[in-house]
Amino acid sequence: MTHLEDSRIIDLFFARSEQAIEELDRKHGAAVRKTAANILADRRDVEECANDTYLGCWNEMPPQRPDPLISFVCRIARNLAVSRLRRETAAKRNAGFDLVLDELEDFLPSRVNVEADYETKELVSAVNRFLSGLDYDDRFLFVRRYWFADSVKDIADAMHSRENRVSVRLFRLRGKLRNMLKKEGFSV
Amino acid sequence: MNREEKFRALAGIEDRFIAESIRYAPEDAVCPSERIAHMKKKRLITFALAATLILSLGIAAYAAGFFSMNRRVPEKSETFRINWEENPSGYIDWSDAKLAVTFPETAESREIEFRPGWLPFTLPSTLAGSSPWENLDADTWFRRLTAEQLPLPGSPAFVPEYEGMSQPLLIESYSMSQFSNGGALLLLYFTPDEIIEEHWDEPDVDVMRFHCTQHFDAMPEHDLPERTLEQNILLLSNADAGWVIRICGEIGMDDLIRVAKNLEIRETGRVLTYDDFENHFCFFDGGVG
Repeated sequence: MTHLEDSRIIDLFFARSEQAIEELDRKHGAAVRKTAANILADRRDVEECANDTYLGCWNEMPPQRPDPLISFVCRIARNLAVSRLRRETAAKRNAGFDLVLDELEDFLPSRVNVEADYETKELVSAVNRFLSGLDYDDRFLFVRRYWFADSVKDIADAMHSRENRVSVRLFRLRGKLRNMLKKEGFSV
Repeated sequence: MNREEKFRALAGIEDRFIAESIRYAPEDAVCPSERIAHMKKKRLITFALAATLILSLGIAAYAAGFFSMNRRVPEKSETFRINWEENPSGYIDWSDAKLAVTFPETAESREIEFRPGWLPFTLPSTLAGSSPWENLDADTWFRRLTAEQLPLPGSPAFVPEYEGMSQPLLIESYSMSQFSNGGALLLLYFTPDEIIEEHWDEPDVDVMRFHCTQHFDAMPEHDLPERTLEQNILLLSNADAGWVIRICGEIGMDDLIRVAKNLEIRETGRVLTYDDFENHFCFFDGGVG
């Protein structure tokens, strides 16, 4: 199956053509659903989240012309999935998501106030600097685990690696980031 | 900041990192400019350090990177719940541990067994406490091998030069998954001297090794002089498979290293998880544990 180039899909959004959503779903639907499904347990919630993501794209384009498109749509899906979780009970949460959240406890500072924009921005900026210093495999691991909330097994499969090896590398990465954040004055 | 808020905070990871992680494609990865600068600096430092090491020590540094064993000296007040058969509960809360060795969080460990390719003594036909107990020969595979009978003059396996030792050699395998969630291997009695950490390519393992001692004051009432027990301990770990082997005893470190280097190791096919173990702390002092 051939897919339209991202720029063509964005053009369709700008032309207010409903085909834009079809093409977006055809090309990036799997990634959107996977992002939502890593966080939400219920398949209907995932589907609704995907539809809301497309609606979000419809509202944002124009004026935005995101590049790359894929991270833009996955970002919307991730935010919507987490927002949906906040409104729902813990039972709606994908079981594997709890493990990811537990690991975040392990290396992200506890005292950053999420309402204080400055502190959060500083933290995210530090995480981006950390990622910039990693090789591709480590960045892939970190982002898939802590941004996409992928399971260790899914990551291992994607990398043609073993679960143990992935767990060990994640453990190492958490330690590295924890040390870096400590050095930068975060209270970890 | 609670857990979900932390997850939300990570939403700010840059687009370029998200986009390159949609699918695993190392061949398409663009090295961030920050990393290029970082790597140049790192290479320079590495080169300087390596040159210094080679010049000053004349030894090759083992490949830098992840070492699959961490160690710390616990606070005297820190307690560990360890298996203690003499206690009615079967456990004891032990404080004043001398060393705690921890491992990466490991969901599944592959069970292994080993066969010594070289020993400083002839393997006797039976070794009580080892597994299996009977009909030992060069083809026997072990998960635990103890030579504590060898110093005993009454034992059929008696080795005269080991007389007076309490444990010439002990080899035992562990699973890292046993020590997940805060578990550890502990030294309870012996105090380690300098701890050496290195990587061996053959077998492909991380190694922690040290000499350690336990001092006893004189006890005139029991006619016991002051004395110091000595042990050498080697820990071999393979993080990929999730196993650890302890090789220790009163034979010298050189012999222990030779035993370790000649150890044949194979997987049994069984996978062990945290829940397969009731006890998540083990003590590994010298000849016990």
